[in-house]
Amino acid sequence: MADSIFRKLRDGGEEGELAPALTIEETVASPFALDVSCYLLANLSSSILAGKSKSEGLVLVTFSRSPSFYLQFLKQKGIFVSSSSKWIRVLDCYTDPLGWIDQPSPGVITEGSSLIKLHKCVSDLKRLFSSIIEAGREMVGDGKTRFSVAIDSVNELLRHSSMPLVSGLLTDLRSHAQVSSLFWSLNTDLHQEKVTNALEYISTMKANLEPFCPSSDGKRNALENLFLVHQDFGKGQFHIRFKLRKGRVRVMSEEYHVDQTGINFSPISSVETIIAATKSLIPKVHFNLQLSEKERVEKEKVVLPFEHQDHGKSTEIYDGRRTLADGKTEATPLSSGELQADVVSSGKGGEIIYFRDSDDEHPDSDEDPDDDLDI
Amino acid sequence: MAAPNVRTSSFSRNISVVSSSPQIPGLKCGPNGTTFISTGIRDLDRILGGGYPLGSLVMVMEDPEAPHHMDLLRTFMSQGLVNNHPLLYASPSKDPRGFLGTLPNPGSSKEDKPTAPDLDQGESLRIAWQYRKYMENQKSSIDDYSNDFDMRKPLERQFLAGRPIDCVSLLDSSDLSVAQDHCATFLSKFPRLNSSNIASIGRIAIQSFCSPLCEYSDKESDMLSFIRLLKSMLMVSNAVAIVTFPPSMLSPSSSTRLQHMADTLLSIKAIPDGDKELEKLLTGYKDINGFLNIHKVARINTQVPVIPEAKTFSMSLKKRRFLALECLNQAPVDGSSGTSYGTSGSCSGSSKSGALDF
Repeated sequence: MADSIFRKLRDGGEEGELAPALTIEETVASPFALDVSCYLLANLSSSILAGKSKSEGLVLVTFSRSPSFYLQFLKQKGIFVSSSSKWIRVLDCYTDPLGWIDQPSPGVITEGSSLIKLHKCVSDLKRLFSSIIEAGREMVGDGKTRFSVAIDSVNELLRHSSMPLVSGLLTDLRSHAQVSSLFWSLNTDLHQEKVTNALEYISTMKANLEPFCPSSDGKRNALENLFLVHQDFGKGQFHIRFKLRKGRVRVMSEEYHVDQTGINFSPISSVETIIAATKSLIPKVHFNLQLSEKERVEKEKVVLPFEHQDHGKSTEIYDGRRTLADGKTEATPLSSGELQADVVSSGKGGEIIYFRDSDDEHPDSDEDPDDDLDI
Repeated sequence: MAAPNVRTSSFSRNISVVSSSPQIPGLKCGPNGTTFISTGIRDLDRILGGGYPLGSLVMVMEDPEAPHHMDLLRTFMSQGLVNNHPLLYASPSKDPRGFLGTLPNPGSSKEDKPTAPDLDQGESLRIAWQYRKYMENQKSSIDDYSNDFDMRKPLERQFLAGRPIDCVSLLDSSDLSVAQDHCATFLSKFPRLNSSNIASIGRIAIQSFCSPLCEYSDKESDMLSFIRLLKSMLMVSNAVAIVTFPPSMLSPSSSTRLQHMADTLLSIKAIPDGDKELEKLLTGYKDINGFLNIHKVARINTQVPVIPEAKTFSMSLKKRRFLALECLNQAPVDGSSGTSYGTSGSCSGSSKSGALDF
């Protein structure tokens, strides 16, 4: 399932549509969004290098780790980045986000002169936006070729700017014609629920990491819980929600496992963990009231009580009990004026004996009791 | 002194079909002195008892995962343009005029509706009661009140050109004063002087009111007072406003307050794709795009509430073009599966076998 996210990011969006965007959510109990980002980064990089991706370049905006961390990670995965690499650019917002260090040449740093750009003044989001687009254009040019953008984590962005500005930046990136896909990560425990909801609102895919056992915060005496949490720390569930075009939501789940080499995904082992949300969706569902052909034919055959009045002849009343094996039901002829007892058998052993009230007159007579009402 | 008032029965007709002012198409008289305008979706008109009453505020709670609230807005706006009602549209995008290109065109729905029984011939509907001679035929729906919209065809130029359409972008200013001024000037053109003489009516559509892109989205008290002001202006005008908002963008108390301010409250819910349980439970699962829930229906000049036949309807596209809202139909439960969902309190109980015994 994590593959499907990677494929969506790799393929990008259609012309004229907003680029697909992924939010990776982690919690304090399962802080592995970085591993997921690195996994996606490695896969995207290899597909860009192999030419299989719609985008031809990648802009990585780093907030929570230094650029060298990522370059080393990519080297571990077998992807070598040198200063002459044309497919990746790194915007370094980790080293000096607020511009506290005075540097003689503020634009450029260390080796890879065009590879890594130092970005100060993170709180000015318009400048950040233009730097990202500039870095992208450096790689792919100004035409129709597209590039992907990966934002390390938006926790730091939200620290320096307000929610509307951050979502404005992300939406502007999504609507830029040259951005083919975009992803970022977020720790939901650090922010209000409104913020998390807002970021989910503007993204098309949402992935969240959950530990196996719920975090036992506040339980002082639960040593066993602590042991379990510690034991299961690197493992948990990975849930993904895709927003489809028709307006439906595709939900997928997997298990993840983090070790030295990175994060691994495997299908769900136990089925009970998938919660059926259907019960909450449908409060009260009616039966289908349409008739099939067979039912319609049967319905035609039924003689309704007042329909035979004008005919002047007796008819047998069809009460639909032909399906029962015992045909004990008697439709007594209407012309007999004797005491009539209808014996109805329900076919299950019980018997109902019914004595009609007004047996001295014809049943279903034409007398209308309302006729003597004078309105 | 009393004028002779001859009544044949104690029932008074709920719906009269003639519009009060012949020069304004698209109006229908409702009960208790209200006037309805069409929602743009015939099924929704029927569910709400006629349409949206003039002077009401309709709020739609969006689901961030589904775009169906846009369909409700689109049909509302298209219906207004087809009936030549002035329109004010506000949205959190840089170019709101672009949305007008996605409005649907009235479709010529020549297909038969097999569900509606044909009452003109007396034999097809058989009634087993003595008073069948008092049954009257219902008139067929009038075409100038509501239309069926073809969601795949864009609105024709004749409906867009030269019509009074005002578009406002909610991103333009950091607070709501601009939007408020636009609404105030727009609504001042449709004052409600006396109920029998309606000069003109207007429609307001506000999309994604609390979107996180708007700069005022963290000022919740400003948003609440804007809606309160809009509602009070609507009460003295001949207009209807429809406002969609995502409730998860607000704090729970503000969201509840906004919901209470609505006269008609609807909400959209996305459905999961490829869900085996739902597929077993509902017929027509493949066509359903989402659910529409009716929480509140506007009632003006009366204290009697409307109790709709169902609270949840499925939204689907008939023939991939026409929006339809239907009651949810449960698929026949086969004997092997013991439990059935959604049987809370309803008479269907726990149906164990296929034969239905009533």
